[in-house]
Amino acid sequence: MLEQKLEELRRATLAAFAEAISLEQLEEARIGALGRKGTLAQISKEFAKLPPAEKAALGKLLNSVKQDLESDYLNKKQRFEEADLAERLAKEWIDVTLPAPGIRPGSLHPITQLQQEIEDLFTSLGFAILDGPEVETEEHNFDALNIPPAHPARDMQDTFWLSNGHLLRTHTSPVQVRGMRQLGPPLRMIAPGRVFRNEEVDASHEHTFYQLEGMMVDREVSVANLIFFMKTLLSSIFKRDITVRLRPGYFPFVEPGFELDIRCLICGGSGCAVCKHSGWVELLPCGLVHPNVLRDSNIDPEEWGGFAFGLGLTRLAMMRYGIDDIRQLQGGDLRFLTQF
Amino acid sequence: MKFSYQWLCELTPGLSTDPKTLQRLITMKTAECEGIEPFGAHFTQVVAARVIGVEPTAKGKNKLVQIDVGSGKRATVLCGAPNLREGMLAPWVPPGTSLEGKTIGRAVMDGVESEGMLASAAELGINRDHSGLLELFDVQPGQPLSALVPDWIIEIDNKSLTHRPDLWGHVGMAREVAVITGLRLFDPVKINVLPHCGDPAVHVEIANHDLCPRYSALVLENISIEPSPLWLQARLESIGLNAINNIVDVTNFALAELPQPMHAFDADKLQGNTIYVRTAHPGEILRALNDETYELTTADLVIADAAGPIALAGVIGGADSAISETTRRVVLESANFQATSVRQTSARHKLRTDASMRFEKSLDPENTLRGLARALEIVHQVSPGVTVRGSVTDNFAPLKQQQPVALPMSFVVGKLGKEISQQQVVEILDALGFQARETAPGLLTVTIPTWRATKDIGIKDDLVEEIGRIIGYDEITPAPPLVASIPPYQSPMRQYLRTVRTRLVNQGFTEVYNYSFVAEADMRRFGRGPEQHIAVRNPIASEQTHLRRSLLPGIYRTIVNNVRHYSEFRIFEIGNEIHPDASPNLPDEIPHAVAALYGAHADERDFFELKRVLECVLPDARVAASASRSHEHPVRAAEVHWRGSVVGRIFELQPSLLADEGIKGRAVLFDIDLRLAQQLSAAAQEVTYTPVRKYPTSGFDLSVVTALEKPVAQIQDDLVNFAGPELAAIEFIRQYDGSPLDAGQKSVSYHLEIGALDHTLTSEEGEDIRSRIIEGMRSIGYEFRG
Repeated sequence: MLEQKLEELRRATLAAFAEAISLEQLEEARIGALGRKGTLAQISKEFAKLPPAEKAALGKLLNSVKQDLESDYLNKKQRFEEADLAERLAKEWIDVTLPAPGIRPGSLHPITQLQQEIEDLFTSLGFAILDGPEVETEEHNFDALNIPPAHPARDMQDTFWLSNGHLLRTHTSPVQVRGMRQLGPPLRMIAPGRVFRNEEVDASHEHTFYQLEGMMVDREVSVANLIFFMKTLLSSIFKRDITVRLRPGYFPFVEPGFELDIRCLICGGSGCAVCKHSGWVELLPCGLVHPNVLRDSNIDPEEWGGFAFGLGLTRLAMMRYGIDDIRQLQGGDLRFLTQF
Repeated sequence: MKFSYQWLCELTPGLSTDPKTLQRLITMKTAECEGIEPFGAHFTQVVAARVIGVEPTAKGKNKLVQIDVGSGKRATVLCGAPNLREGMLAPWVPPGTSLEGKTIGRAVMDGVESEGMLASAAELGINRDHSGLLELFDVQPGQPLSALVPDWIIEIDNKSLTHRPDLWGHVGMAREVAVITGLRLFDPVKINVLPHCGDPAVHVEIANHDLCPRYSALVLENISIEPSPLWLQARLESIGLNAINNIVDVTNFALAELPQPMHAFDADKLQGNTIYVRTAHPGEILRALNDETYELTTADLVIADAAGPIALAGVIGGADSAISETTRRVVLESANFQATSVRQTSARHKLRTDASMRFEKSLDPENTLRGLARALEIVHQVSPGVTVRGSVTDNFAPLKQQQPVALPMSFVVGKLGKEISQQQVVEILDALGFQARETAPGLLTVTIPTWRATKDIGIKDDLVEEIGRIIGYDEITPAPPLVASIPPYQSPMRQYLRTVRTRLVNQGFTEVYNYSFVAEADMRRFGRGPEQHIAVRNPIASEQTHLRRSLLPGIYRTIVNNVRHYSEFRIFEIGNEIHPDASPNLPDEIPHAVAALYGAHADERDFFELKRVLECVLPDARVAASASRSHEHPVRAAEVHWRGSVVGRIFELQPSLLADEGIKGRAVLFDIDLRLAQQLSAAAQEVTYTPVRKYPTSGFDLSVVTALEKPVAQIQDDLVNFAGPELAAIEFIRQYDGSPLDAGQKSVSYHLEIGALDHTLTSEEGEDIRSRIIEGMRSIGYEFRG
């Protein structure tokens, strides 16, 4: 008898659970079957009166029915709760494409960005980064760089002269002099900064532009070392393998002096408008430090030697970003600056 | 500097390298070529033609011309030249010839077809004479123009020749070409053509041999001035020199070949028989060949006769002694002048000539006699009747001998970073005109040729360049140097600037660069006059006359320029203020950061937004109201205090400055002295950890009532002071003024958290602390509300 009742209870309750369409109906069915006064409780009372022998046999069934119903109930309940939650959250839809309030990061000037990148590269190669003043002495800017007064090379650099007798530096090379005098040999340094030439401004000429001077002084420094550093530097800046070539160039503070060309990045050397169909683009002057320059900074050229180079940061930035008007760099126009 | 390929070929017998390849080789080994251009490609097509008939055309000034073009052929051309006449010989450009990039066709003009054209010398590129047809003599119709050959002109960047006086002439470049191509240079100078006997026909007195190391001269007679032969005219024209006459052209030929600038004086126009080389007397003037008159200074070196200056030495000749059609006798000057003196004179009178450009490179004094010899040879060639009077005048001080240079092979190898044999080094140097001989094992002693010894080559490093460039730098394998790996010196200032930049960018600011120059109007707008600035002696523009001693004028300009495109924006600049120094020292350059926040509808909230940014850049910075400056809003200006120092200012820009430009918006700025800030930043102690509180804190609010103008920062300081060590945190909630408070009063509310480090505060303890604060505050005049 009880066995039948139990089976009936299982069947009917499972059916009721299955038919329940809400958490309330499910709960109602649970209370009817599993509640304190529910059917199972009543059956349990009858079960308690049974003789021990029957109990043993029926006990298992009783437990199994109870477990089945409880587990089915919990399953169903969880499903109702999940559905409920889903329904509630569905109402919390937002348009994720709405603009987010608040400020956005600004941007560094493109020259600053390029400069920092190159600074990091040279720091990793053991180079110090040095600064020099924008207003320089004639001695630092010319004389100590083997450009004495009346040297024709002074004509190559139109100079802004100042009321105090000094000048606006025409290149970052005076920082070589400061670096050698301040740190002494051995020395590895770069000096980025603003330089000035007295020339009319147009789309390709500026009186204010940016250079990055580099110098290494050590016991034995060769042209082979210079080529190695230039190749490493430029491959890193352009993020690909760069082919460089040196050819003679005249700069009073180096001997021998070079113009360094790179194989044209646009055409790969086959010739195009950018490289004027030569396959090469002139990029930077460099050379071995002239012994007079070392001597002027109290370094014995018989003991020490070095290389130096001057990278045009402005030119490099224009090449990298395809800037066709140099005036943009000092123009302060946010429509330009916010692109970087 | 332009070089004729044909000329180089004449000086380098056997040269078969084509012009394009040659210019590339020169670029790689000697000096930078800027390009090559064909010259006179049409010379092979142009032939002489005889004019046999001239008829007028129906309209226009052109005539219909029948010409005999040789081999029994005739042609009809149109021609309007004034010197056209029957029987004359003139060059005929047949149809299909390319001239100056244009193909000469069978043009139809005035209803008549012209078969090619008769040409002027200028049209053929031989000289600049446009006045009429080039009249030909001693030639048969159909014959090509004698000695005119097509050429290529190689243009070399002058800057890359700055240190090479020898390369300002074809012989020097041909020497390079010979070395590069493995050929031998042909030296065109035959020194023994100079007369050996007799007395010089002219005397030369040199006042100062430093300024004029050598002056050689020769007198020529029986001269008749006429145009040079076409080949000479064309050759000069091809490299950009102007053909003038048979004497002047010869001097220019020597200039372009050796290079030896020369000058020809009309001997009959000179006063006396002595040429003086001296500095100008005060007040002397020279009317020069270019028809300009120059007032000379005592620093100018002049060539003078008994009457006065006849030339500005090494720069330009005088008009009064110039060669003219009547010239019969000339004094041919071939001198050497000090480079610096010529350069300064040239700069002083703003006059650069083909001669001065060469002299200022320090020419070889040995070349003066070579110049005379070569000129004499060419004169005899182009003007066979000319005779020489007397012997050569040659006045010189003992010339400075360049010492031989000791060149260890180890030095060459070490500097180039490439193994190279001594034999190869010797071969290269010898080919370039040096004399290298081994004086000890591995040691060469190198004699410098005179044309490289004036300035260019003096030390062993110079020789390394000679060897390196001829071997070719491509032959050197890149190699990393063997050096100690040491962390580099890092400038704290640079690192600090990076930090400041990053913080500003993170707060939405975009970096701008402004010029280091400032205009007077802009500096005055920011309360300073020109006397407080360093002036530029040669400014490039009227608004860039001084060096900035504040970044504010530049930022102001940038704001004004961007308002057109943006209703709100944030910008900053980091740059140097340049402060004049009364001493001869360099000025003080102080890095500053200026940040600006502009809004078309900006209000006082923007001030606090910028103050927030300031606190991001300088954590825990405080601001204190300060008397405003003229460019600041009168009551919205403050000093920035950081770590015990005033490091800058934060303010709203005086709205009238923007209104002046028709701008209605407002701008808030701060201006920080980064040198000071960096020093303070560097002086800060390392953080020492404070244990986190173990016991809970409790909190309460207080509303302090006080006078409206009492700074909130002061109230907070007072609260903190009275709260003592139990204060865990204090937070500003709000301030309020208005009813029910009395006028002129405000209520400022704070939330305070208190606690002890070693136990949980009892409610009695908490109440005691609260009372202590309130009583303390009351004792100094505050009241409380609620």
